[in-house]
Amino acid sequence: MSEALKLFSLQIALVAVVLILHTYLGLHIIRRTLIFSDLVLDQLAAFGALVGVGIYTKYAFSDSIVLAKGVVLFKYASVGSYLLALVAVLFGSLLLALIKPKTRAIPREAVICILYAMALVISLLLTDKLPNAETYVTATLSGSLLWVTWPLVIVTAVVYIALLIFHYILRDKFITLAENPKTLKNEKLWDFLFFTTQGIITVLIVPIAGVLLAYAFLMIPAATAAMFTKKWTKAVLIGWSIGFVACVLGLGSSYFWNFPYGPTLVLFLGLFFVFAMVLRCLLSSRNFNSKRI
Amino acid sequence: MLQLLHILGLPFLMCLIMGTILAYFGIHVLKRDIVFINIAVAQVAAIGSIAAHLVFDAEEDTLIAYLSSLGCVLLIAAFYAMARRKIIQISIEAVIGISYAITAAGAMFLIGIAPGHAHAEEMLAGKLLWVTPQHIVLCLVVFTAVAFCIHIFKKPLLRISENYEEAIRQGLKVIWWDFVFYGLLGVVITLAVRVTGIVTVFSFLIIPATISALFTARWGLRMLIAWVAAIVASLGGLLFAYFFDFSVGPAIALFLGAVLAIAALFSSFAKLT
Repeated sequence: MSEALKLFSLQIALVAVVLILHTYLGLHIIRRTLIFSDLVLDQLAAFGALVGVGIYTKYAFSDSIVLAKGVVLFKYASVGSYLLALVAVLFGSLLLALIKPKTRAIPREAVICILYAMALVISLLLTDKLPNAETYVTATLSGSLLWVTWPLVIVTAVVYIALLIFHYILRDKFITLAENPKTLKNEKLWDFLFFTTQGIITVLIVPIAGVLLAYAFLMIPAATAAMFTKKWTKAVLIGWSIGFVACVLGLGSSYFWNFPYGPTLVLFLGLFFVFAMVLRCLLSSRNFNSKRI
Repeated sequence: MLQLLHILGLPFLMCLIMGTILAYFGIHVLKRDIVFINIAVAQVAAIGSIAAHLVFDAEEDTLIAYLSSLGCVLLIAAFYAMARRKIIQISIEAVIGISYAITAAGAMFLIGIAPGHAHAEEMLAGKLLWVTPQHIVLCLVVFTAVAFCIHIFKKPLLRISENYEEAIRQGLKVIWWDFVFYGLLGVVITLAVRVTGIVTVFSFLIIPATISALFTARWGLRMLIAWVAAIVASLGGLLFAYFFDFSVGPAIALFLGAVLAIAALFSSFAKLT
């Protein structure tokens, strides 16, 4: 098998695994209208990585050799940077679970979006004080395939499978959280666990796929499926199938025509979404007409 | 003191103008639960200016770039207005959020490079400190025109924001009025983002309106509270950025967040006693 084909099949396999959990979590997010939560966690993960860069640049040329060697761990996309991103994301999950507006005049999505704005603001203020800030802002925004290593792919796949099992076992609790949260004991704890799952996959997937593709993976297959069914299993199946076909087409054409792979995948997913919207409109008006008749 | 006024005077004026119109739109946006609209529209406007650059070789801040952005914003406004009426089972916020992903990918595709090209930070953080009198006059003229339109169309827009289903039952042409609303908001956001960056516009749109919702449901009072919050945060943010050498836009956004946190504490304390 040629190298390109090997890489292609590896990517397809990774997409197939990643899409199951993303579609399922995306359905929760769409149905509960927490669209911004993903961007909050993305931004906090980026902030964690930036703090790592800050520590590294401050102490890398320190006189103490131990300190100078220790801070190498915090270089961008190294172990320490991942850990800091994880800590930031866990903190974000806690805030997302705990802060709920008491008045109906403030939608929960507004609180989430303000958290996003604040996460973005502290990242920008931090970069004000970093040398070469522009490079890091760009890096945290886009992610890059350059940092993808085999161990990272294996860790990603293992963690995804573990989280899938976790969600499968506790599916009743999480579905109640989405459909009828008032009947659930410890609602905030389940919310925290939900956002933590989302946070962990964010930390893992964003360096590989970039913020935009990770976000599209989460939202588009789920939203496409949610337009056609209210059942969870059916929606995950529809979402996964649409997502998978779109990704295979996207990856294929990015290889074939040498398009940038992230945007191409998002555009193919988007194409399916727009097509599904048109179909939904046609179906709705047909149902409406047949009811009238 | 004179130097301080010289440097921060124009940015503060810009904050005042922008804060006023965005606070009003913010109350509508919260009622409609479409907080994603700001980023999505800013992204669409960016596509317009990239397209103008590719097709007409137009630079930023030229008439063609503005018109092209405006055209794209009006197109997306029509799309949102249709989608809200026709699409069932997913919220309009989800549609707006997804349209953001697709248009951002489209922009990346058009420029053929990864996201966050050379201007990523500038687009986010803005260049409020370098705002010129020409920018302020342009914003003042356009925002006044938008405010005039809002005043004329006040009733139907309010009815739709308060209760969409009820507005349909009353026979209101919701698609048309939604188009007007998204179009006007789109014009304001496009222009404001050019001057002050996404973060500041975003915070001015959502945070003052949220602060006001903590205390009252009356429109007049909400506007007043939102306006005062915007002024206090602008002053605080500008001075903080000036004395501690930070970017102005993010500093103002940070102060808006701080005012909200204090207001939320105050409001829950007031309810307890």
